[in-house]
Amino acid sequence: MSYALVVAEVRRGVFEERNLDSIGICALLGKDSILLVPDGDYVGSEQLVNGLIKAKVEENVFLNPLTMVNILEKVIAARGKPDMIVFTSSASGTELASYAAGYFNLPIITDVNGYDKEQGIFYKSYYSDKIFGEFRPTGEGPSIVTVRSGSFREFAVDKGSAPSAETVEDVAVSSARTFMEYVEEEKTDVDITKAEFLLSVGRGVGNKDEIPDYEELAGLLKAVISGSRPVIDKLWLPKARQVGTSGKTVKPKVYLAMGISGAFQHIAGMKDSDCIIAVNKDPEAPIFQYAHYGIIADIHKVRDKLKDILKTP
Amino acid sequence: MNLIVFTKRVPATQEEELRITGEGKAVDLSKVPFKVNDWDNYSVEEAVRIVEKSGGAVTAVSMGDAESDEVLRRAIAMGAKDGFLIETGDILHDPNARATLIQNFLKKENVPFDAIFTGVQSEDDQFASVGGILAAKMGLPFVSMVIGIDSFESDHAIVRRELEGGLQERVKVMLPCVISIQTGINEPRYVSIMGIRKASKVERKVFKAADYQENVASKIEVAKWVYPPKKAGAKILSGELEGSCKELLGILKEKGVYQ
Repeated sequence: MSYALVVAEVRRGVFEERNLDSIGICALLGKDSILLVPDGDYVGSEQLVNGLIKAKVEENVFLNPLTMVNILEKVIAARGKPDMIVFTSSASGTELASYAAGYFNLPIITDVNGYDKEQGIFYKSYYSDKIFGEFRPTGEGPSIVTVRSGSFREFAVDKGSAPSAETVEDVAVSSARTFMEYVEEEKTDVDITKAEFLLSVGRGVGNKDEIPDYEELAGLLKAVISGSRPVIDKLWLPKARQVGTSGKTVKPKVYLAMGISGAFQHIAGMKDSDCIIAVNKDPEAPIFQYAHYGIIADIHKVRDKLKDILKTP
Repeated sequence: MNLIVFTKRVPATQEEELRITGEGKAVDLSKVPFKVNDWDNYSVEEAVRIVEKSGGAVTAVSMGDAESDEVLRRAIAMGAKDGFLIETGDILHDPNARATLIQNFLKKENVPFDAIFTGVQSEDDQFASVGGILAAKMGLPFVSMVIGIDSFESDHAIVRRELEGGLQERVKVMLPCVISIQTGINEPRYVSIMGIRKASKVERKVFKAADYQENVASKIEVAKWVYPPKKAGAKILSGELEGSCKELLGILKEKGVYQ
């Protein structure tokens, strides 16, 4: 029977919420979804899928791409080829998906954020999210896709009860790559997730020497300063101040974004803020799609003008 | 230690207006400036640091048109010993096709390596797949999202992978392997114009992509390019700068975050 295989991401005993998007795309495509999960004691979303396969390995072994291909081989031997194999679009999902695509010689489309059922087209973003490509697999399947978090979960349907689980046992575990331990971020005195008002700066700041002026503006506004990935990568602000999927997810009353174009990984970390105000000189910057208010201007000029106004008694 | 590092010349689209032409057939990049892919810049730096510490050589490889020589000169200026260009006028959108071509090249030219470094993704297509596909095809272990290399020995490396929400995972990987580098892993050295000029004196080898086409077939196709669907979007505070700034402060007061 035809089916779509959903490879779940379970991390530190948590069934990641973005797995719902993997299940959702199967429902949207009208395919029976079979959820592949690691062993362990956690709450999944079994009532949303048509079938369940438990691989008798721990999550860290499950999430190792060199071992995952062995698990997939066993699943395919037992159930036949799926129509599609779905992974999350994340640090581990993408790693697993690309390795599996190479191993099994399968078509792959990553970071899928939409699907057109009539044309059989997957949408994927290109060029800083300014262009979408309409992609279609042409090679022999199953096709591998990774799906962008938040894109398809609304399509997942509760089936009322969980299917009974099959198991995959005696998985060959790779010794060429092995998990050692998790490393937690160092604790710091600032917690940007607690701030009511964030002034967040991005690549548009241009260079490190401009940062103190933004810190001064944040001080005048009584805002806490944070930044997007490029600013953190360049060490202009410490890692604890990073907003985005690899940093912090924030929901302040006001998120004032200056010089941030709005890469998806950043948007995912701030889109639920009560009020988003974006300042950017590029009117096409994706952030204006998510912001409530916008100013299209040179951010340094806006910064200096705000400082002038605030300093004038 | 011989390290191969891939580097790509990409359009810097962050602040550019992009136009789709030919009813969705192409994206006009003719007025867009090009630069080295951010991820590859960090990846070159990391590879160079390893050989500076433990000896060996870095070979930078780029696939693209003749202009891609620019990112090879840059890599050499940063410390790579050689620069190889796999020249092609075609843009291969399919990461499977790219990885297969690279595999054919490495095999046919017999390029020696202890590890292959790639950026996690390239800024233009955001596929984040070539490293993983290449590793699997070559039967090599693979680690991606590498944000720290704790040790790099002759037979193995201990690396940290960046996961979500500030969490990292430490893994041991046996060599030879493919490592995909995440931005922020290091502080790439500054490359001066003088440095690049000096690097131009180092000969770069040019190979033709046409010679490595065995099994290079795209498994996906781009039917069309489209603009992302527009949402309601932001209310733009337009007019004089002073006026929009005062309006902005008014919003902050209304939201109760500024008095």
